Amino acid sequence: MKKRKTVFVEGPISPSFIANSIEKHQTKTTIGAHNIFLGQVRADEIDGKIVQAIDYSAYAEMAEEKFHEIRETTFSKYELTCMHIYHSLGKVKTGEICLFVFVSAPHRKVTFEALEFFVDEIKKEVPVFGKEIFEDETHVWKVNKV
Amino acid sequence: MELKVLYFGMIAEATDRKEEIISLEFGGNVDQLQNLLKDKYKKLQHLSFKVSVDKEISSNEVVLSPNNEIALLPPFSGG
Repeated sequence: MKKRKTVFVEGPISPSFIANSIEKHQTKTTIGAHNIFLGQVRADEIDGKIVQAIDYSAYAEMAEEKFHEIRETTFSKYELTCMHIYHSLGKVKTGEICLFVFVSAPHRKVTFEALEFFVDEIKKEVPVFGKEIFEDETHVWKVNKV
Repeated sequence: MELKVLYFGMIAEATDRKEEIISLEFGGNVDQLQNLLKDKYKKLQHLSFKVSVDKEISSNEVVLSPNNEIALLPPFSGG
C-alpha cells in the first residue's frame, strides 16, 4: 500500500523543488529510468489580450480523492517503482510551473506510457479550475482540451 | 429537505457564492435540483457544468438525501 500524500501546493512549483525531488531518488538504485512532466502557464492571447497568470482553485477533497484513484490505477497498469505528483493552487504567473508529475521505473518504456496516461487522466477527471487573468485584471475561465 | 450545495469556478461566479443550503422536496433527484438552481440563477442556463454527489460525478436520476455533499462543477482545467 502506497502512502497517501497531498498533491496541492500553494503557488508555483519551483525548479529547485523539482531538482530536490530528483536528488532524493539517488538512493533508490533499483530505478533505471525517470520521466518528468512539467506543466507551464502559457501566455495565450485571447481576444487581443495576453494571459498574465492563472489562478487555480479546486474542489480540494474530491480532487485529492481523484488523484489518489488515478495514482492507484496507474500503479496497477504499469510496473513503476514510484510516482509523485504536485499541482499548484492560487496564482501562477506565465512561465512558471503549475504541474509536476514524476514517474520512475527500472526500465524506460513504461515511464513514457504511465506518464502520458497519468497526465491525460488528471486533465479529464480532477476538479481543478483555472482562471486566466489578463494585465487589466479581467479574466476568462480556462477549459481543458481533452 | 435541506441540501448543502457547493459551487466552484465560473459557477461560483454566476451564483456569487461558494455554497448554500437549498430546500428541495423529499425524494428529489439531481435533475430537479438542477432545474431549481437554473430557475434561481438564470446565468446557469448558459453554463456547462456537472453535478457531483459525495465526490462522484452523478447522473440526473440519482435521488438526493440531506447528508449528501453536492457540488456544481464547471469544465475542468487542471494541469
